[in-house]
Parts: sequence; C-alpha cells; structure tokens
Amino acid sequence: MTAVLSRAAPPGPRLRRNRRRWGWSLAGLALVAWSLAGSGLFPGPVVNPAGSGEVGRFLSAALRPELGAGFLAVVTEATLVTLAYAVLGAGLSVLLGALGAPLVARATWGRRRPGWRATRAALALPRGLHEAVWGLLLVNVLGLDPWVGVLAIAIPYGAITAKVFADLLDEAPRGGHDALLAAGAGRASAVLYGLLPTAAGGLLSYSFYRLECAVRSAVVLGLIGAGGLGYQLALSFSSLRWEQVWTTVYALAALCLAADVAGRAVRRRVAAPPPGGAAYRRDRVLTGAVAAVVALAVWSAWYLALTPAALFSARTAEQLGYVVSAAWPPATDGGLLATVWATALVTIQMSVLGIVFATVGAVALAPFAARPSAPAGAARRAVGVLTRLGLLLLRAVPPPVWALVLLFVLLPGVLPGALAIGVYTMGVLGRLVGEAVEEADRRPSAALRASGASAAGSRLYGTAPTLAGPVLALALYRWEVAIRDTVLVGLLGAGGIGVLLSAETSSFDWAAVTTVLTAIVLLTFLVDLVSDRARAVLR
Amino acid sequence: MGRSLSRSPEVPRAPPRPSSAHVVRSAAAARSGGPGPGSVPRPFAYRARTVIALLLAAVLAGCGAAPAADRQEPLRIGAVPDQDPEVLQRLHGTVADSLSEALGVDVEYVPVTDYAAAVSLFRTGDLDLVWFGGLTGVQARLQTPGSVPIAQRDVDADFHSVFVVNEATGLAPSDDLAPLADLRFTYGSETSTSGRLMPAWFLAEQGVDPAGFPGGPGFSGSHDATLALVASGSYQAGVLNEQVFEARKAAGEIPPSVVRYARSPAYSDYHWLLGPDAVERFGDDLPQRLTDHFTGLSADDPADAEVLDLFGAESFVPTEAANYEQIEQIGRDLGLVN
Repeated sequence: MTAVLSRAAPPGPRLRRNRRRWGWSLAGLALVAWSLAGSGLFPGPVVNPAGSGEVGRFLSAALRPELGAGFLAVVTEATLVTLAYAVLGAGLSVLLGALGAPLVARATWGRRRPGWRATRAALALPRGLHEAVWGLLLVNVLGLDPWVGVLAIAIPYGAITAKVFADLLDEAPRGGHDALLAAGAGRASAVLYGLLPTAAGGLLSYSFYRLECAVRSAVVLGLIGAGGLGYQLALSFSSLRWEQVWTTVYALAALCLAADVAGRAVRRRVAAPPPGGAAYRRDRVLTGAVAAVVALAVWSAWYLALTPAALFSARTAEQLGYVVSAAWPPATDGGLLATVWATALVTIQMSVLGIVFATVGAVALAPFAARPSAPAGAARRAVGVLTRLGLLLLRAVPPPVWALVLLFVLLPGVLPGALAIGVYTMGVLGRLVGEAVEEADRRPSAALRASGASAAGSRLYGTAPTLAGPVLALALYRWEVAIRDTVLVGLLGAGGIGVLLSAETSSFDWAAVTTVLTAIVLLTFLVDLVSDRARAVLR
Repeated sequence: MGRSLSRSPEVPRAPPRPSSAHVVRSAAAARSGGPGPGSVPRPFAYRARTVIALLLAAVLAGCGAAPAADRQEPLRIGAVPDQDPEVLQRLHGTVADSLSEALGVDVEYVPVTDYAAAVSLFRTGDLDLVWFGGLTGVQARLQTPGSVPIAQRDVDADFHSVFVVNEATGLAPSDDLAPLADLRFTYGSETSTSGRLMPAWFLAEQGVDPAGFPGGPGFSGSHDATLALVASGSYQAGVLNEQVFEARKAAGEIPPSVVRYARSPAYSDYHWLLGPDAVERFGDDLPQRLTDHFTGLSADDPADAEVLDLFGAESFVPTEAANYEQIEQIGRDLGLVN
C-alpha cells in the first residue's frame, strides 16, 4: 500500500507523437527489411527438404544419448574441467571488473567527460572479441597452458564486468558517501564505507550472473581445443556421432541448470532479504554462497594445475614477440579491405535476422516460460517446466552445431547462420523475457479486466505495453552479444566476417588477422553504440 | 613451477626441478587439451601425493639440498584431426605405447581439435612429434625452424581425393571437373590437404575457379560432414579424402544419394614431423631413431601390425622436405602459406 501511495504522480498524457522514437523504430524496420533482402528469401528457394533425414537423425538421437560407462566417465571428467574453467574465468573477471570499475566510473571522472569516454572506448577492445577468438589468440602465445581457457573468459568478461560495476556504483545512492566526505573522511574511506555497502547487493547479483554465462563460454572454448565438454563435443560433432553429441549437451545443460538455479537463488536473496533486521546481520545464505564459490575457485586452480609461472616465462615472451612482430603493421591492401567491408555487412544482416527470429520466438513462448503468478493447474505447470527445459537445451547446443544441422534442410547462404544464432539466442532470450513477464506490473491488465475488458483485450492493452519496453531493451542488448556469436557460425555458406577470420588464421596471415580483428572490434563497438542509443530512446 | 624454465634452453636450469614436476605439467596439458585414452585421468589420491611431493621438493630445492633430479619431459605426440577423431585418439594411444617401448622414453599423446591449433602448438613447443597433413606439415615446418620430416606411409606418396556429387545432379562419373563449376560445392577443413588444397589446385588446372562456386564454396569442417551435406543436397558436390571415403564405403556408411564422381591425380600427403625442441632434449640421433622405428614396423609382428592397421598402411617409408615442395608452391599460390 505504501508503495502505491509513495509513487510519483504519472506524467501528463502525451498528445503528440514522440518523433525520436518513431525515427528509431522506422530505422529499425528498414534495417530488418535490408537484412531480409540479403537473406535470399525473396529471389529463390531456401529450403532443402531432402536433408530432413539427417535432421531427423540429429533429433531422434536426443532420445537415445550414448550412455556407455566409458563415455560417461569421459564426460564426467570433461564436465569438471568445464566447471573449473568457468569458475576461474568468472572469478578472475569479477576481480578485473572490480579493479577496472573505478577507472571507468562516471563518478571518478566527474566533469571530465572526454576522459571518461576514452576509458569506456578502451573497453571496446577486450569486449569486442568473442571468448573463442581470445582463445585462438592465446593458444598462439601460451600454448597448451590452462591459462588459455581462463584468460579467454576473463578478458572479455572482465571488461563487461568493469562497465556494469561502474554503472552500479554510479547509480548507487550517494547519501552516506557524501556525508562521510562532508564529515572529513578521505575519498578512499568514503567510497569504502559510504558507497560500497549500498552497491554490494547489485555487485554480488551480477557476479553470480557472470558465473552462469561463463559455463556456456567455457564450452565454446572447448570447441577450439581448450578442453572439457566443448572438446568432447567437437570430437563427436566432427564425426557426426549425434548420440554422443547429445550426451555432452545434456551434461552441459545440467551444469547450466545448476548455475542458473544457484545464481537465481542468490539474486533473489539479494533482491529480497529475509525480514527482521537483516540489514545489520550477516546473511548466512549469501556468506555461504560466496564461501562456496571461493572454495570452488581454489579447487579449480588445483584441478587445472594452474601456476602463474607460465604467464611470465621466457617462452611466453618469445611467442608473444613472434605473434606481435608478425601481426604488426596490419594488412591494408584494397582487396582485403573490400572483403572485410562486404563480409561485415553480411555479419550485420545475420545478426539482425537472428535477433528478430529469437525475439519473435521468445515472445511467443514467454506466456508458457513464465512461472504463473497465481496457483495454476498441473497441466499449466507441466507446460511451463517443459518450455523452460526446451529453452535450456536450445542454449546448451552451441551455435556451430545448430548451423550444421540447419544447413541440412536450408540451402547455403545467410539464412542457416542467422537461424543458428536465432535458435541459440532464443534459448537465452526466452528465459529473460519469461522473467520479465513474471516481474511485470499486473495492475493495468487487472484494471482493464475489472472494468469489463476481455482477456485478449486486457493482454493487448494492459500487458503488452508494459512489456514492450523491457523486451526491446533485452533484444537490443542481446544483439550486441549476437554479433560476437556470429563470428562463430557461418563457416558454411556465405557466412560473414567469421569466415574471413577463420581463413586468415588458418593460413597464418597475422597481418590480415589484425585487420579483420580491428574490423570486428569496430563493428561490435558500433552495434554497442547504436543499441545503447536505441535502448535509451525506446525504453 | 620449473616448467617454464625447463622449456627454453637459453635460461639456465638453476633451481633443480623436482622429479614429479613433469607429472603435474602433463596433467595440465591433458586437461587443457581434454582427457583422452592416451592421457588417463589420474586418481585423486595420486594427484594429492604429487602435489605434496612437489611442495616437499620445492621446500628442499629452496634449501639447496636436493640433488638435480633431471628427468626429462615426455615426448609429446599429437595429430591434426582429419579422420574420425575417435579413431585418432585410439590410434595415438597405441602409437604412444609402441614408441615409448621402442625408444625407452615417456611418450604422451596430446589431443588437439583444430588444424591451426596443432600448427601453433608445434611452434610453441607443446607438441614434439605430430602426424600432420601435407599442407599443415608445410605450415608447421616453415614456422618452426629446425623441424624435420620423419616418415610417411606407403600410401602417402600416392594419395588421392575423391569428388562426390548428389545423385539429383544427374552427373555420371567422369574425369572432367568442369561441370562442377555450376554446383553448390563444399570443401572439408580449410587447411586440409585432401579436402581443400589439392582439390582446389586440380579444379584450377581444369579451368574451374576454386573459389567461384555459386554462393562461394563451403567449408564443412570434416570429411564426414562433407559426405552428409552432399547426401542431403544442401551442397550438390564436395570433395574428400579417398581413404576416408573407402573406409566409409567398406562400412556401408555411404548414403545412396552420394555418387563418386571423380578421382584426383596423386600427390604426397600425411607425414610425421619432429620439432627442434625434442632433438635438444633427447639427442641428435632422435630423428634417425624415430625414422628407423617407423620404417621398421612390420605387418608380421602382431604389435606392429596393430599400429599399421590403425594408420591404414602396409608400412612406413622415410620422407624428406623435398616431397612437399609442390604442396608448398600450391599453398603459396592459394594464399594458404605465407
């Protein structure tokens, strides 16, 4: 009740169209139309029904995964390796994020905007490259060392974490901080005792979210040879042993599920602490969760036999020197630049189509994926559980596997790659949109129902408008991620800039690799910028 | 500890390395490359003992009391994934045992999933002896001065690829590659010799632009994926390693919709390549000992026969860098060798 009363009065009704919003919406539609035109959907056939047999084999293998004792033992060990990489990668990224956050926080820079902008832009380099691309680069410097997998996750995640931590610090209430400063405390003490405690909940929530994401990243790394589940998956995948592929996918799904459930529990606990003076006492559950993760990190370092010596060895310096001297200066011949430009456009088309497909699918599934607010019947709950499990599997199968499977029934081109990204992203987005539905404000639709509107009408005019903003924001946010993922798929058919990168790395043309990587970083930076502005306007 | 120092010769081996250091190292390597039959996961108790031994040794080393227990790191062998990676794992577990017995040194199989990664790991010295394809062998040799080709199979001097088409194309087997130009076409891995390099060369020789297929050529990633994609008709034609094709045919696994269209001319392919690091660790006679071991494998000896059988060979023969000059030249022409 107090919550309702204390709300600010609603702004007056808007009588004119919001021009900027219209402009952005039209630009978005134009972008989608352009991507569709590039997909080959209009000029000719894109479906290849003759390949449905192979897809059938892939799908039916899901029902009979390989369960031989020998293979299960291998998968169990691989699962532990993946877990260890995920924990260490996420842990290090949180550490890097915490160290980096003050450098990119608005509060640090105050009115010196150019400095703040420059540090933010500097984050584009580590963020712009996919974990697998970092992995490929690190293999060339560190060889077979387990640091490859850990750093490949920690570098891009660390940059993202630094940005989010900085935003959280900027948005935290500053009363205590300012009061301490006014009372004569030093800057460091003011931040430590005035700012950090208020922001701590958000920081903790986000750290656990990173851990969930790191599990999936650790698998993609395996595909390039860093070990664990992804490595087993790559082996079984390249000889098309679908039964084995599914066993690995199930192991991964179980790992994701465990991380999801644990992370969700922690985030819920942070969002709604138990009543009764909890603010002054340490929350045992949260302390336990943090202690457990720290213990897990220690175990992981031991399990992977991680030693810092490898990072500072003479060999590492020597190999770094080799790669840098081969990679600089970047290649700038006209032919390469033209190819970079052409493939970058295809990459944008693929990511746009993928994200549109994922968003449409996620919205369609959201009513089933969301946990019902009121007590529901057994059938509704069963549908909910099945939908959520289905979404879990969609995101547990890595995009390159989706790409090959889809290529059996689609002709080569932008479409199979776009749909592979779309199906995978739908797994992620479906869950996020489902959670948005759970958290949505139900009062508008309830009010419409109470005043006699039909069920459909109340959804259309009550629920849809409240959800449109969050869903669009999520979709735009995932677009940034999708453009990085697009680099992974598309080796088959007309596949965008990832194909070019793969061609240059496999011919060891390091100067060209530098050029392509620069283009990818610029591309993701651009998409980040556009998505950021669009979110601000459409929200 | 110690592992970084042990690798590069220019750093003096000042702190005596504990005898168990290589165990930890190989465990780390096996993990980062994933566990396989060649790298059996060690039981926990054993690992704990290793760590304790390592700690003890470190403490002793700190006191300067430990004798220089200079046991060598194992010879690490690996392979570029080309055929069924599962077979590769089995193959190299067996080869590791056979080599270890013959040479009297520890041999460890390190699995790798990616062509480019295998070449890089050979350069960084993480892999000592690698079963490379023709092109990847050239790439690795050029990037790693001092490496030497050891041996190839009897079949490798006379290796072939097969072009396959989907039956819906209506093409009958022929030696003329020109009709393939208008089909959707997929290669295997990008740096596969039999699935990419040599076929591209033979296509170009017959006037077909190897990159000019409608929509651009695909790269399926493996010979098996090429077969499945051509069978589905998503790609109307493709090319793969003849040995793999014959093995699948013998197992009855060639889908009926796949037609064997043409056989490529012969070229040199797979070979064992030894890195310079291993020669330093195991002595100058290592290349000769390895060559002797491989060429001495006899089909009459049951243990040897097992190794030969896994490689699909009658025997191994010596080889030299000159055998791959044609591949190097074609690689340069196609921009795959720099």
